[in-house]
Amino acid sequence: MSIVSRRVILVNGSPKIKSNQSVSELFVNLQENSMKEAGIDVGRINVRDSITLGKTQEDYLEMSQADAIIFTFPLYIFCLPGILMRFLQDYQQFLMKQNLTIEKEQKIFAVVNCGFPEPDINEEAVRVIKSFSRQIGALFGFGVMIGGGGMFLGTIDAPFMKKTKAELYNAFDQMSEMIIKMELSPMENRFIKPNFPRKLYLFAADREWISAAKKNGLKKRDLYRRPYLK
Amino acid sequence: MKALILIDKEYQTDIYEQLHNTIKDYFEQKKFELDEIKIGKEDLAFCMGCFGCWVKKPGECVIDDTMSQINHKFINSDVVICLSPLVFGQFSANIKNALDRWLPNVLPFFITRPDGSTMHPSRYKSYPRQIVIAYAEDIKDEDAELVVDIVKKHRRSMDVIVYKNSQAKLLESLNNIDMMRVGDEL
Repeated sequence: MSIVSRRVILVNGSPKIKSNQSVSELFVNLQENSMKEAGIDVGRINVRDSITLGKTQEDYLEMSQADAIIFTFPLYIFCLPGILMRFLQDYQQFLMKQNLTIEKEQKIFAVVNCGFPEPDINEEAVRVIKSFSRQIGALFGFGVMIGGGGMFLGTIDAPFMKKTKAELYNAFDQMSEMIIKMELSPMENRFIKPNFPRKLYLFAADREWISAAKKNGLKKRDLYRRPYLK
Repeated sequence: MKALILIDKEYQTDIYEQLHNTIKDYFEQKKFELDEIKIGKEDLAFCMGCFGCWVKKPGECVIDDTMSQINHKFINSDVVICLSPLVFGQFSANIKNALDRWLPNVLPFFITRPDGSTMHPSRYKSYPRQIVIAYAEDIKDEDAELVVDIVKKHRRSMDVIVYKNSQAKLLESLNNIDMMRVGDEL
């Protein structure tokens, strides 16, 4: 029996310059594990690198030929970061200029994380990726919305994150399955957050900002500066 | 009274021209002092998610470009109108770059709003009235609903109008908005 190989492109849309400091990169790594285990050929694109290194044209060509694309990014002011919008707008232009059409079965997924504890704050960002998919002629699979994004780096392997990590793998394995089977109908979005009390998360985050400022030689009151008041 | 208009240089279409003229006339008739900033592809660096505007140089972006001038004008205006192309149901890349880099104007901490949602507290005691006017040649209902949700589900003091070629409707929507500064509820 011959096995048809599938190719997925994992796009990291984090605006951060050091990608190892981005939560999105962590989720892309988990996706790569899941996809490779399922026998899917994996390609990775970092949006900031692609733009900075002038590689967008080759990356766009690769995206246009893939069986699936997963966009992973942080929520910025309740929707997609500007850098990812630039990348997607230019991709649409690229497809038009090159007169390329997306293979009808290409699937697109969205994995969005935010610092707010509520995963559903990411809903509109998932809908933007869905709208983009429709406009380029691809099929939208489903979105994964992740809250409490600030917690994942450094805790992902901690025992209390076991369930959350399993939920992430479950969602990514579902994507793998849809890619392999070329499943055409969309699935329900997933909502994932760390198993951690909301109040404690907010408290810890507030303390973190103050300690970061102190490391920069600032006092707590400096955080409240109003530089643009006349 | 001062009004600041943010414009995307990339989408200078016919519909943009109509919209721009209507907005300019509207605020000139109301005796506003108008200021316009056009944002092009090369004009603003992308936010780099460093949070320097919160913990290094509180209230200011650490990137040295025209964004500090835009934020200064933003805070000192009575009304800020953002003429944004509607792309995939959200703000265009150029406009979104400016919106991302608006982050210095809020504080890093978390607050719980009366409806239970989480938000960042305001940095200033009052803000300009913000109005986003989304335009495009052909707007799908789904995309129109999406941009309204992006603004109205998450922001309390920001208005959004989807411009579909009807000047009368645009004027009616503008007339329903109090053209003055708002408090600190973001």
